[in-house]
Amino acid sequence: MRDRLDVVAAIVAKDLRVYARDRFYVLVTVLGLAFYIALFWVLPATATQVVRLGVHLPGGEALLEEGGGDSGTGFELVPFSSAQELESSIAQGDAAAGMDFPEEFLQQASTGQATSVRVLLGGETPEQLRPLLVGGVREIVATIGRQEPPVTLPEMEEIVVGPDRIGQQLSMRERFRPLLVFLVLVVEMIALASLVASEIAQRTVTAVLVSPARVSDLLAAKAALGTLLAFSQALLLAIATQTLNANPLLLIVVLLLGALLVTGFGLIAGSTGKDFIGIVFWSMLILIPLVVPALATLFPGAAAGWIRGLPTYPLVQTIVNTTAYGEGWAQAWPHLAMLAAWCVVAFGVGVFALGRRAERV
Amino acid sequence: MTADDAPDVALRAEAIGYSYGDRVAAEDVTFDIASGEILGFLGPNGAGKSTTMKMLTGQLVPRTGVIDILGMRMPKQREEIQARIGVCFEEKNLYPSLTARENLKFFAQLFGVEGFGADALLERVGLKGRGGERVSGFSKGMQQRLMVGRALVNRPDVLFLDEPTDGLDPVSARAVRAIIKEEAERGAAVLLTTHDMHEADALSDRVAFINDGRILALDSPESLKLRHGRRAVKLRFRNGDAVEEEVVALDAAAGEQLRSLVSRDGLLTIHTEEATLEDVFVEFAGRRLE
Repeated sequence: MRDRLDVVAAIVAKDLRVYARDRFYVLVTVLGLAFYIALFWVLPATATQVVRLGVHLPGGEALLEEGGGDSGTGFELVPFSSAQELESSIAQGDAAAGMDFPEEFLQQASTGQATSVRVLLGGETPEQLRPLLVGGVREIVATIGRQEPPVTLPEMEEIVVGPDRIGQQLSMRERFRPLLVFLVLVVEMIALASLVASEIAQRTVTAVLVSPARVSDLLAAKAALGTLLAFSQALLLAIATQTLNANPLLLIVVLLLGALLVTGFGLIAGSTGKDFIGIVFWSMLILIPLVVPALATLFPGAAAGWIRGLPTYPLVQTIVNTTAYGEGWAQAWPHLAMLAAWCVVAFGVGVFALGRRAERV
Repeated sequence: MTADDAPDVALRAEAIGYSYGDRVAAEDVTFDIASGEILGFLGPNGAGKSTTMKMLTGQLVPRTGVIDILGMRMPKQREEIQARIGVCFEEKNLYPSLTARENLKFFAQLFGVEGFGADALLERVGLKGRGGERVSGFSKGMQQRLMVGRALVNRPDVLFLDEPTDGLDPVSARAVRAIIKEEAERGAAVLLTTHDMHEADALSDRVAFINDGRILALDSPESLKLRHGRRAVKLRFRNGDAVEEEVVALDAAAGEQLRSLVSRDGLLTIHTEEATLEDVFVEFAGRRLE
């Protein structure tokens, strides 16, 4: 057993030396880490939860001041002195929508005369948000015109299904956190794949395998090296971005599982690719589906069903739920179990692929 | 020779064979190597040398036959055997980003060898003072010498050398040949694969000709040349401004013919002609080695 550990340790030490002498990967790793940390701290730490609505209401400035702030409605009324200014603001995306009232609106509304209001919507306003905006605008118009809707509103009971995260929207910083972790992990996946591929291409693996080293020693060494590289850098990023403040042990376990996962995929890419171009090709093929869950957190809304089935989804969700919503082990275990299962699959396939490749060189 | 006088057999391959799908790469290959003996393994590309070497070093499991190395069975006792063999591959499979010393130390660690004297080994293979340099900056010849050095880190009892002087200048090649001789004198059994017939002739105690996966002949170079090669005497005469040649085959009638020619006027030179291993190989295989 001691001999086996010595052999594995010798291979890991050799690979670390080879890795440290590859200027490309060292540069990409160091610069990447510095850039991701800087980006994290530059991103806004708070989420914008209020929808800005522009209003052009001649003679109604006092009314707007009265109901202009966000008093829990989720809307902020921003007055404009002309219809052109209002349109320009919406076109530039400063306001999500706007109301353009006619000159005599207040007089006509107070005397019960029929009148019309232009509701302006930004071209990039999501389709599902448009009816909400129009409804909101109608309610505001009724408030400004001091007219109650001609019906008796029913009593409403508000029930939130699942975790209540209303008012807990993620800031950009929180949305980017899992993506940055993923990017760090993926660089090391490619680095490991490159190390494995060059060992095969240069046929040094043959020289190793006619020594007392076994294929299992080689596999253990590559797996240990990949996990060590990916985990140590993900941990560095996590420390530098205060990711571990929430639930350190849970997050360390998640990062470790993430490192194991990308190591498995790194072994697959390294065993398959024959040169740098081959490594990049296979890595990209693996990378694209893996990055989707991290990208999905950048946009509001629930992830599609197929995204939830991707290997990195539980990694991303556990990071988000723990760091942003303060969830613990009790809530995280289903995701951890799924992530662990994916690790077993990726590792199993990676070890099998490398083992076969090494024996066939 | 009694049983006690018989040299220790370090390696014995008996009727080993291997196929890649339907293609037979080696078939019924049988030979042995004694401790301290150098066996030259000669054959053209694709003859089955590499496949045989891979079976002997544990990279391939033979489909048929038996391999015993140092009293152990391959592949059953592969690890124990691999701990006591040294292999110099034809391809330069060194770590280019590591230094020469780091390359040697890494393999010494795999073999569990401590204090093997990296610098002394580097000096032995003609790389004195170059141990701290990265292999990526080495010439092909320097890499080849390091490959030979790497095969010696564990003081192997059986040494497999695949084209060890390939790419070396004459001086370096001579140095490597001297190392091979020293290793055999130390007691190592050496399997030497080479294209160079002169090298095989000069180094090998015995040579094996292999072609189409089968061993065609196995004997000492001298015996092969004597038994299978043509021996003759070549005489050159001056005839006016021209130079004439007479070749007399050394058979039963050679004596009379030679006496007659030697007494002829204008005799310039007399040379004996012996068959080369190349000639013998052509006789067996019906093709040249290249």
